[in-house]
Amino acid sequence: MAIPIAVPRLGWSTEEALFTGWLKEDGAPVRAGEPLYVLETDKASQEVECLDAGTLNILAGGPKAGDKVLVGALIGYLLQPGEVVPSSAPLVVSAREGKPAPAVVATFAAPEPERSRIAISPRALRIAAELGVDWTRIEGSGRDGRIVERDVRAALERGGKPGAGSVRRVIAERLSRSARTTVPVTLVTTADASPLAGIRRRLKESDGPDAPGYTDLVVKLVAEALCRHPALNARWEGDGVVLQEGIHIGVAVDTEAGLLVPVIRNVPELTVRQVAAASRDLAARARRRALRPEEMQGGTFTVSNLGAFAIDAFTPVINLPECAVLGMGRIERRPVAEGDAIVIREQLTLSLTFDHRIVDGAPAARFLGELAALIRGPGAALGL
Amino acid sequence: MNGRDSSRALDLYRRMLLIRRCEEQLARGHQRGLIHGACHTYVGQEAVAAGVCAQLGAEDVVFSTHRGHGHALAKGVPPRELFAELLGRATGCSRGRGGSMHLFAPEVGLMGTSGIVGPCILQAAGAAYTFKLRADGRVAVAFFGDGAVNNGAFHEGLNMASIWKLPVVFVCENNQFATEVPFSYSAGNPDVASRGAAYGLPGVAVDGNDVLAVDVAAEEAVRRAREGGGPTLLECRTYRTRPHSEGMPDFTYRTREEVEEWKARCPLARLRVKLLEGGTPRNWRRSRRKSRGPSRTPRSSPRKVPGPTRPPRPRTSTRSRGSCPRRPSAPLARSRSCRPPSRR
Amino acid sequence: MQATLEALTEEMARDPAIFVLGEGIGKRGGNFRTTAGLYERYGPLRLCDTPICERGFVGLACGAAMAGARPVVDFMFVDFVLDALGEIFNQIAKVQYMSGGRLRMPVLLRGCIGVGHSAATHHSGSYHPLFAHIPGLRVAVPSNPADAKGLLRHALRGHDPVVFLEHRELLGVKGPVPEGDWEIPFGRAAVVRPGKDVTVVALSLMVRHALAACAALEKEGISVELIDPRTVAPLDVDTVLASVRKTGRLLIVDEAFGPFGLGSEIAAQVAERGLDQLDAPIRRLHGAHAPTPYSPPLEAAVAPTAKTVERAIRDLLED
Repeated sequence: MAIPIAVPRLGWSTEEALFTGWLKEDGAPVRAGEPLYVLETDKASQEVECLDAGTLNILAGGPKAGDKVLVGALIGYLLQPGEVVPSSAPLVVSAREGKPAPAVVATFAAPEPERSRIAISPRALRIAAELGVDWTRIEGSGRDGRIVERDVRAALERGGKPGAGSVRRVIAERLSRSARTTVPVTLVTTADASPLAGIRRRLKESDGPDAPGYTDLVVKLVAEALCRHPALNARWEGDGVVLQEGIHIGVAVDTEAGLLVPVIRNVPELTVRQVAAASRDLAARARRRALRPEEMQGGTFTVSNLGAFAIDAFTPVINLPECAVLGMGRIERRPVAEGDAIVIREQLTLSLTFDHRIVDGAPAARFLGELAALIRGPGAALGL
Repeated sequence: MNGRDSSRALDLYRRMLLIRRCEEQLARGHQRGLIHGACHTYVGQEAVAAGVCAQLGAEDVVFSTHRGHGHALAKGVPPRELFAELLGRATGCSRGRGGSMHLFAPEVGLMGTSGIVGPCILQAAGAAYTFKLRADGRVAVAFFGDGAVNNGAFHEGLNMASIWKLPVVFVCENNQFATEVPFSYSAGNPDVASRGAAYGLPGVAVDGNDVLAVDVAAEEAVRRAREGGGPTLLECRTYRTRPHSEGMPDFTYRTREEVEEWKARCPLARLRVKLLEGGTPRNWRRSRRKSRGPSRTPRSSPRKVPGPTRPPRPRTSTRSRGSCPRRPSAPLARSRSCRPPSRR
Repeated sequence: MQATLEALTEEMARDPAIFVLGEGIGKRGGNFRTTAGLYERYGPLRLCDTPICERGFVGLACGAAMAGARPVVDFMFVDFVLDALGEIFNQIAKVQYMSGGRLRMPVLLRGCIGVGHSAATHHSGSYHPLFAHIPGLRVAVPSNPADAKGLLRHALRGHDPVVFLEHRELLGVKGPVPEGDWEIPFGRAAVVRPGKDVTVVALSLMVRHALAACAALEKEGISVELIDPRTVAPLDVDTVLASVRKTGRLLIVDEAFGPFGLGSEIAAQVAERGLDQLDAPIRRLHGAHAPTPYSPPLEAAVAPTAKTVERAIRDLLED
C-alpha cells in the first residue's frame, strides 16, 4: 500500500506551517528515519523524519518552498516496488475537522430601552404584576426609595389599584403618533353574517359559555384573508414596508384603565376554539393588568369590535407599526334584497382602516371583499 | 544462553518488540492527526519497562509518568485498549478521558500514568503502605524520569518508604533530559543511584539499554521488597531516541550524532544479537508462533478507523515496517536506528 | 472534637482498612486530641506518625487509597496542607473520573480552620471555597458536635475524597449527640432556626455568631431564618431558595475570604434561580480579604462577629 505523506502536527496546537522544501528528490529511495522535508512554525524550523521506507513520490501541485501548508495536507507518497500513486486520495484527517472560522462577527448594541427611573425589587415587580397593581405610582420605602414587596401590598390594601394614569398616557402618545405619521383611509362594507350567526348558535349549544364569540370567528377569518392578501399583513419599519411572515392579530380590549391590545400569535395555526381560549385569557389578564409587555407587542393586524355598543361603522385608528385595522360593528337583522325578494338577513358592517403609505386602495378593497365573502361563506376556513 | 535463559530472554524481547511496534504506530497516528494532544513515546527505553515488569506478578502495581505507554504495555494493558485511548474512544483503557498521559488499568495493576512529574513516587509508596498494612506480599513500583529526582516528591517519598520499610521499588529511567533540559545541568548530584544513601536505602545503577541487566537488578529489588527488606532505588541509564513529544523539534538541545549513537545501542538489537549468538533457532521459531497473540500490533491506518466514536479495528501486522527487524537481512537495510553494534 | 473521635474510633473498629496519617497523631494523640487513645488500641501501622512532609504523605494517601486502603490524613491546620494542593487537586480529586470509577478514592483529609486566639497568618486560614472549587472533592464544615460526628461517619463510609474542616474555636464546644449508628448525608443544609423576615446562611463558627445575633433581634420582633449548609460541596442551594421564597432577603456569613467564595456562589445561584423572589440585594459578610494579623485588636477586626452579623441583618432589612 502506498504510504501517504501528510503534514504532521508540530507541537500541540499548530494548525499550519511554512513548507521550506524537500530534502529528497522525487523518485529518490528513502529509508526509515531519514529527514524528508523541512517545515517551519513560529517555534522553529524542523526536519521531518520519515517513519517508513520507500520511493518518494512528490505530488504534482504539492507545496513549493515558502508555501503555507495545513496540518494534515497530503504532499506525497512513499511507494513500494511495483506500486503506483493511488487514484483516490486517501483519507487524511486534519487536526481539527472543522468549520471555517467565522468572519468577524459584528455585534449590534440593542437600542437602549426607555428605562423607568423608579427602582423596584424583582420580587416587588413580580408581585405587582400578579396583583395587578400599577407600581409606577407607588412611593417606595426601601433604600433610596426602592419599591419593595410591602409597598406593593400596602398599595393594594389602600385600594390604590388605580392609576389609570400611566396607561392613558401611553394610549395618548401612541394614538397621536399614529395620527401624525400614517395616511389612514377607511373603507366600509356590509357582509351577510347569517351563516356565521348559525355557527355561533351551534357553538353556544355545544360549548356553553366558553364558545368562541363573533370576534374570535372573525379573527380566524381575517387570518385566512391575510394569507390570501399578504400585502395587508405588513408593517412600516424604519422607512420602508416589511411584509410579515407570521400572522399575529391584536384584539382591542376595553379595560378600566383604558384600551389595551393583546396579541394572539400565529392565528393560522390555531383552531377557532384555541383562538377563543387565547383571546379569553389575554382579555382577562388585560383587565387585571397582568399582561407581560411582550404580549402586547409584535402584532401584524388588529381587530376592534364595537358591536356590543350598537355601533355600525367607525374609523378605527391604526395600531402602529401595523398596516391596517378592522372595525366590527353590530350584527343586526335587516331586510335585504335577494333577487327580487326582500329577505331578512343578519348583517355585519365592517370598517377597514389602512395606511395608504403601505398599501393602495384597490388591494385594501380586495382584501375587505375577500373577508366579506369569507364571512358569507366561511366553509372550511373556520375548520369546524 | 541455556534453554531457560533463552526462553526468558525471548519473553523480554517480545515485550520490548511489542512496545517498539506500538510506539512507532502511534507516532504515525500522531503525524496523521489521529492522535491528539501530546504523545510521548518510549522508543529507546523499552528495556526498562520490559525488564522491571517481567519481575512483577499480576497482583503487583505500577505507577508511571507522562511517558507511560511502555509501562502500560509491559504491565499487560492490551494494545487495543492503549490505541483506543489515544484515539479518544470510549473503549480506551481510560474510556477516552485520559489520552496519552492518563492511562489507567487497575485490573492489570497499572494504577495510572500522569501528566505531573513526581506524584507517582508518592503514590507507589502509598500503595506499598496498603500492602504492608494488609501484609499481603504485594509490591508497588514507581517509574519516573531523571526530571523527577530533583523534585520534592522524590525526597519525601523515598524518605517515607525508607523509614517505614515499604515494599516498593523506585525505578528512575535516567534518559538524561527533563523535556529538553540536560540532567547534567539540573542535578547537583547527577549520580541518581548514590542518592539512595541519603535516605538509607540501597541504590543500584544499571545499563538501562541492557534488558538482561535490568531484569537481574529488578529481580533483586522486587525480592527485597516482597520479603520485607524495604525499598530500592534502581537507576536505569538510558536514552529516548524520538523527540520529547511527537511533533517537537529534536535537535535544538541535542545533536543528531548523539541520537544516532544511542540508536546504535538499541536494546532490542542488542538482545537479538545475543539471542542469535546463543543460537537456539528452534526455540526462537516456536516462541514466535506462540507469541502471535501478545505481539499483535493494532494499526492506526486512517482507513481502518471508520468513525469518531467507534473503536479502532486492530489488524495483525503482516509485514514488518518497524525499525527493529525480526530478521537481520533485508529490513536492516531500511533501518538506521537499530543496527546491532557488531555490524557497524 | 470528642464526637469526631468517637466516630473515628468506631469506624476504625468496623473497617480495618482505615489508617491515620499525620504529624503527632500516634502516641501523642494528635495536636488537637483528634486521635487520643487510638494508638494504644490500633498500633503504629494504623496510627502512622509522619515526618513534616505534607505533600509527601498526602500523595502517599492517594496511592494507598488507590490500592484499597482508607487513609485519614490529619494535617492539624489547613494552612499546612496547602503544600499538598497539587496532590489533592491533580491526583486525589481526579483519579476516580480518569479511571472510569475503577479506582476509588476514599481519602479523608481533615484539619482545623479559622481565626482566633492570635494564631496569626499561618494558622488561621479557612480555605473551604478553594477545595469546593475543584470537581471531585467533597467539603464538609460542621458547626456543632452532632453534625461533626454524623458527617465524619458519612465521610468514612463513602467512596469519595472528603475535606473535613473544623473551626478551632469550636473544638471545645459541647452539644447533644444522638446515640447509635447514624450518619448525615452530604448536601443537606440544616434550618437551624425558622424565621420569616430575612434568611441568613452561615457556616461553621459563623452559625454560633448568627444565633447570637438572631436572639438579639428577636427581642425587637425581627424573625431570622438561619441556615447552615454543613457541606460546601455539595452545596444545598435548594434549601436556601425555599427560605428566600419566604423572606425575600438573603445574607451569607462566612469567615473565609469573600471573592469567589461561599457568598458569591450562593448569591449567584439564588440570582439565577430565584431573582424575582428577591426583595433586596443579596448581602455577603466575609472575613477581610487580607492575611490574618496577630495582635488581638487587629485580629478581632478581620473576622465577622455576632455584632457585625447583627448589624448586617439590620442593614439588609433597610434595603
